[in-house]
Amino acid sequence: MIAAIIIANYEGQKGETKVCTQEVAPEHWACVDVLGRPVMGRLVDGLKRGGINSVFAFADGKCSPDDSKSGNDPNSISVWRAAGGKLDECRGSYDSVLIADCRTYAEFDVADILAFHRDQGRPVTQAFAADGPVDLWIIDPGRFRERDNIRGALTSGPAAYEQRGYVNRLEGPRDFRQLVSDGLNSRCRLRPCGVEVRPSVWMGENAEIGRGTRIVAPAFIGQQAKIGDDCLITRGTNVECNSQVDFGTAAENSSILSNTYLGIGLDLSHSIVDGKYLWNLRHDVTLEITDPAVMRPNAVSTKSRKWSEFENDAVGLSA
Amino acid sequence: MQTSGPVVVMQVPEILNVKEVHNFMQELGPLLESNRPRIVLDCSQVCSMESAGVEMLLRCLEEVLKRDGDLKLAALSREAEVILELMRVARVFETFETCEEAVRSFHAIPADAVPQDAPWYANVFNELGVLKQAS
Repeated sequence: MIAAIIIANYEGQKGETKVCTQEVAPEHWACVDVLGRPVMGRLVDGLKRGGINSVFAFADGKCSPDDSKSGNDPNSISVWRAAGGKLDECRGSYDSVLIADCRTYAEFDVADILAFHRDQGRPVTQAFAADGPVDLWIIDPGRFRERDNIRGALTSGPAAYEQRGYVNRLEGPRDFRQLVSDGLNSRCRLRPCGVEVRPSVWMGENAEIGRGTRIVAPAFIGQQAKIGDDCLITRGTNVECNSQVDFGTAAENSSILSNTYLGIGLDLSHSIVDGKYLWNLRHDVTLEITDPAVMRPNAVSTKSRKWSEFENDAVGLSA
Repeated sequence: MQTSGPVVVMQVPEILNVKEVHNFMQELGPLLESNRPRIVLDCSQVCSMESAGVEMLLRCLEEVLKRDGDLKLAALSREAEVILELMRVARVFETFETCEEAVRSFHAIPADAVPQDAPWYANVFNELGVLKQAS
């Protein structure tokens, strides 16, 4: 039996449990929809396909599916300590536990890393990409005794597994845009969720495109997204679910994250927009736009939407 | 004859929302009504600009052009630059790295004021020189 523990740690956000709401800029890019599904959800999908029996996820002291161990007091418990509690529970029930910190998007073969771990016979195996260690480990819960400083113990002398698949560190908006671009151009296994209506143009369910609007490949329009009349969506732009691009606006090489309204007659380029926040990658500047006529969060309530979506997946796996 | 006053440099406030636009226009308004107004707006402090701010800039530009003057933007902060690009008005304005450059640009002789083709007599003296040498 194999279990997986997914960590979503919000460094610098101690004591806060803001999970991908529109009230704050996304502190954790793994929770943000990318081409129709967050990296976290995609990680669960990959583990499911790789034959993992149970998945437990922790984010700022919150645990899914069973949060009785972690409690809901993020001030008193860290995600790693909560993960340690889960590891205790896993001892005896599972042969191996995969631990992944989903701050990094990494494509790996579950069977291959498990086989490597068994061959090495060490209590901990860590994946290493060409540019350094990846936050992905396999441990034997019976032989791994550390509970207080799990992260430190995981990184001291593990067997090194060579991670040959695609890796994106998701350290900021630039990495996020790179992941979108790589997904749209098939440079990684991340595929857009939707129907490919014409070569390299994907559309989610109930997406609407206005009259006179031109979509230039590669591009992604998420489910329930609305593109107004006479717009231009071009060169690697993704419009995520429930977002709206109003009349005459052009978006080039940009990401419009979920539940975002983008106003009339704008010219968006090399940017990421999330509600009222805008990251411009060319000028390397972050703006909070307070004018709702220009951009704003869409009316749809999105509090913890992505996290709850992910939790459902984890529950499904554990059952 | 001097037909216009000096170039006026004005600092644009940090936040250009409806309220600030109103205050700023009270200062800027009389200048716009002068003969051939020549205005440089120092945008180095701008960190937030609502659509009212962009609208104000366009209105000012329209007014100065009507009076045969000009309005130029200088030292645009990255924030201001992104907002002007986003709202598709960046190309409407002449922009400069510094206020000094913007002011100097008002005094520069426009390229089309310099004759592009040499007049018919330009080479006459050279030719005379050649004739002298030959004789």
